[in-house]
Amino acid sequence: MTDAKQDEVDPNAPVAGMDFFMQLEYHELLCPVVREFADALMDKRLIGHRCPQCGLVYSPPRGYCPICVVPTTKADEIELATRGIVTNYTVVTPVQYYGQEETEPFAKVSLQLDGGGNLSLQDLLEVPVEQVHPGMRVEVVWAPDSERKVDDITNRSWGTAEGAIQGWKPTGEPDASPDDYSDKVF
Amino acid sequence: MSTQPAAVIGIGQTKHKKKRDDVSLPGLVREAAQRALDDAELNWTDIDAVVLGKAPDPFEGVMMPELSMADALGANGKPIMRVHTAGSVGGSTALVATHLVQTGVHDRVLTVAYEKQAEGNAQWGLAGGRSGGMGAGGIFAPWMRTYIRRSGAPEDIGWKVAVKDRQNACKNPYAHLHLPDISIEKVKESPMLWDPIHFLESCPSSDGAVAMVLTNEAGAKKAPRKPAWVLGTAMRSELGTFPGRDTVRPRAGVECAHMVYDAAGIKNPREQIDVAELYVPFSWYEPMWLEGHDIAGPGEGWRMVESGETEITGNFPVNASGGVLSSNPIGASGMLRFAEAALQVRGEAGEHQVADAHVGLAQAYGGSAQYFAMWVVGSTLDAVDKKK
Repeated sequence: MTDAKQDEVDPNAPVAGMDFFMQLEYHELLCPVVREFADALMDKRLIGHRCPQCGLVYSPPRGYCPICVVPTTKADEIELATRGIVTNYTVVTPVQYYGQEETEPFAKVSLQLDGGGNLSLQDLLEVPVEQVHPGMRVEVVWAPDSERKVDDITNRSWGTAEGAIQGWKPTGEPDASPDDYSDKVF
Repeated sequence: MSTQPAAVIGIGQTKHKKKRDDVSLPGLVREAAQRALDDAELNWTDIDAVVLGKAPDPFEGVMMPELSMADALGANGKPIMRVHTAGSVGGSTALVATHLVQTGVHDRVLTVAYEKQAEGNAQWGLAGGRSGGMGAGGIFAPWMRTYIRRSGAPEDIGWKVAVKDRQNACKNPYAHLHLPDISIEKVKESPMLWDPIHFLESCPSSDGAVAMVLTNEAGAKKAPRKPAWVLGTAMRSELGTFPGRDTVRPRAGVECAHMVYDAAGIKNPREQIDVAELYVPFSWYEPMWLEGHDIAGPGEGWRMVESGETEITGNFPVNASGGVLSSNPIGASGMLRFAEAALQVRGEAGEHQVADAHVGLAQAYGGSAQYFAMWVVGSTLDAVDKKK
């Protein structure tokens, strides 16, 4: 890791550690259902698959329901709402690890989308971190057309859509009732 | 497959520190392994196989360390295997070693787990080097918030766990953090890292290793010191994310606990277990796991903390060693729980020994609280039966 004071280190001191910088660049071929999810994001649409058996919504779609162990197909595809409720959150105080550009506390929220579907670890925009709370109604903020990209989406995606979605901003509507989201703890 | 009893006859761990710059990576694992062999009064040549555990490679930036460390582990010419299940890896590793003995594949197995966090940066590893990384605490923080909301626990419960474990660590010479002046006030006033988790409610980054020697009944009878008998083992996993997942009470954790209780013949874990080492890297996980493993009923876990039941002198001591909150060499942290539970039932835990500890539970979890590994150890093969 980069040490800002490394230039001041005594050149005669024993070597206790060394920096090795390496880079590995590779392109990941997305599986077909994730490719469709990525293509939809470029088109400002958020899609998922609804399990035909249990009704749970997976976004990004996986091509199967891991709970019921049944396949899901294009026929199970649904378009998700781009509005929802903040169900949970944390405010992260950033530590300065290598590559970290954040310096001020930032919020990450979990969302329950209207009509079904969960997203975790989303950025909340336009709200001071001390005002973040469960129940807030929010809507998506897409990245501008020219900047929108899906390069960061992988087959291992946890449901984030970094690059396509900048974050979520309050709609200004009154808070949802805890009954609407208290079981959604992502 | 028929199984036979297995026992821990040797335990060794290193002094855990922020930076063990006095030893190399192979030197670190060698230190723990040699101590385990010394404890069992065995030599490297007495070992039939080595099972090594280690958390994700990017935490140190040393890829596939088992290749270069095989000789340091005395594994040349012997079977060696690496286990990897994120934070639970130390536990899973001990279980793989146990199963090799229980199934009669090998008579004496050395199992080792380690992490040299100072040679890398776990936060960087978790974030993939990119900005805006959450760290483990950032993932778990919202779930703790939900636990608090669901159970109605007062906010000082997390602070109490943090103080208790650090006070216990002062009795453990191997623990990384020795904070004799720790207090509720200090925890409360320490910086907020991942709301609601304060700095002093979080585990440190440690360098350290732990090792155990496992053997069968014949080997245990020849052991120079009291063995810790493995009375039950269990591993379970589930997806890290799926709609409707209960992150406060992961199903894999519930099922893993019930599997290990059944295996050990435990009907009432709170009454029949004398000492528990649970994986608590962030303070709120103590009450969460007490409930999540059905040791306490819903909303009762935090009451056990509040009433002092989980203190070293309480009737259900948790993390007498100081736990992950006091030493966190990630890859080793799970096996440390397993080794500390074994030390307790052997009666060799020194100053942090729990009185009359005959049945011990150890648990480790990893990933997004999605991998679980547990064992129950006893001072005798019928230690649980004696409690009925």
